Amino acid sequence: MTHQEFLDQVDAYALGALEPAEARVLEQHLASEGPHPLCEAALARARETVATLAADLKPVSPPPGVWEGIARVIAQGQEPAPRAPQAREPVPPTPREPARAPRRIPAWTYGLAAAAVVTLVVAGVQVRGARQSAAMASASAAECAKELAEARIDALRKEDALQLLVEPGTQLVSLKATPDAHGPLAQSSGVVIFNARGRALFLGKSFPGQPTRDYELWLIRGGNTIAAGLLSPGPDGRVFADVRPEVLTGGRPQNFAVSIEQKGGERDAPKGPVIFLGAVAAP
Amino acid sequence: MTRPAEDGTVLDSVRRGDARALEELYRRHSSRLYALLLRMLRETADAEEVLQETFIDAWRRAREYAASRGSVEAWLITIARSRAIDRLRNRGARLRLVKQTEQLALAEPAQPGPPDVHAQTRLRRALGTLPPEQRRAIELAYWDGLSQSEISRETGDPLGTVKTRVRLGLQRLAELLAG
Repeated sequence: MTHQEFLDQVDAYALGALEPAEARVLEQHLASEGPHPLCEAALARARETVATLAADLKPVSPPPGVWEGIARVIAQGQEPAPRAPQAREPVPPTPREPARAPRRIPAWTYGLAAAAVVTLVVAGVQVRGARQSAAMASASAAECAKELAEARIDALRKEDALQLLVEPGTQLVSLKATPDAHGPLAQSSGVVIFNARGRALFLGKSFPGQPTRDYELWLIRGGNTIAAGLLSPGPDGRVFADVRPEVLTGGRPQNFAVSIEQKGGERDAPKGPVIFLGAVAAP
Repeated sequence: MTRPAEDGTVLDSVRRGDARALEELYRRHSSRLYALLLRMLRETADAEEVLQETFIDAWRRAREYAASRGSVEAWLITIARSRAIDRLRNRGARLRLVKQTEQLALAEPAQPGPPDVHAQTRLRRALGTLPPEQRRAIELAYWDGLSQSEISRETGDPLGTVKTRVRLGLQRLAELLAG
C-alpha cells in the first residue's frame, strides 16, 4: 500500500467502515512504514473528527458494577502488557530502542549538519565516548551532528505539514499517476496539502532521480497552466517542497500536475510528459 | 471535555501500571463512552460489557498509544467503537435498526458535569451542512457499524459512490469542526 492509498482510505478506516481485511492492510502500512507524518496526521485528524461525532450525546454514567469488573481484572496482577511484535498501534521508536539501520541523508542536509557541528563545538557540548581518541571523537561529533540535523529537518517537515493540515480549509489533493508514469515512476506517489488561504506543500515518495531533467509542479486554474516550482527528490526518493506562494493568489486552482521537463523547467506550460494529475475538490 | 495534555499525563501513569490512573481515565471518559455504546448497541448489558472491555484493553495496550495519531479520548473512542462494531457484526445486526433511545432514559443521569453544548452546536451545524447522502453514509457507518460494502447493499448505491461519500463527508466535517 502506498501512502496515497492510505490517505484515500484513512477516513473510512477511522470510521470503522472498512472490511476487516481492508483495515488490516492499513494497519500493516502503519506498522511497516514506521512514523510517517502525513499518514499519521491524516489518521489523527480523521480520528478526532470521528470522536467529535459523539459530542451530541448526553453523557450517561455507567452502573458502579462496570468499574468494579474492570478493577477485578487488573487487580489480578496484570500489568500493562509490553508491545506485542504485531501490535495494531505501532508507536515511533524511542531512542532507547535498538538502533535502526542507518538512514540515508539527503545531500542538502550536510550544510545544516555542518552548521550543527559548529553549534555543538561553540556550545561546548561534550560527545559521549569521545575520550577514546581525538579521531574517534571527531567522527562521533560529525555523526552526532548529522543525526541531529536529520532529526531536526524531519521534525521541521512534520511540524510544517501538521501545522498546515490542522488549519481550517486545508485539503489533501491526491495526485494520480498518468499512463506516462512508466517504470519506476509507477511506484511513485504524491500529494499536495493545499489551503485556500495561500499555502501549499507537495510531498512525494519514491521519485527516481533525474540526472538530466527536472520534475516540475503545475497548478491549473481556469484552463491556464502555472509553473509552481521544481521538485527535487532526495537520495531516498522523497520530495518535500513548498509551492511558490505567488501562484496561489489568483483564486482556487482546479488541478495540480507534475511533469518531467528539461533542466530548469518550463515557464508557461509543460512540454514534457505529465506523470501525475490531481483534482482539487470543490469547497 | 478533558484537556488532551492532562489525559496524556494520566495515560503515562497507566503505562507504568498505575491502576489509580486508569480509574481516573475511567472517571473522565466512561460516561461519554457509555452513552456512545448504548446508542450503538442498544442493549444495556452489551454496552456495559464493551465498556469494561474497552478499559481493560486500554490498560493492556497503553504502551501502544501514539499521540501523533490522535488524542487519548479519540483513542478510547476508537477502541470502544471497534469492539462495538465487532459485536454488532457478530450479532448479525447488519441492517439498520430502529433507534431505541429509551435505553438512554432508563440509565442513570450523568454525574460528571454538563455536556459540551458548544461542541454539540458545532456538530449539529456541521452535520446540517453535509449533503444528505454523505450524512446518511457516515451515520450508517458510525452508529450502526456498517462497512462501506454493507452501506452499498443497504442503500443500493455503488460501492465507489459510498466510498466517495464517506471520504468527502468526513473531510468536510473535519473542516467545518475545525473552523
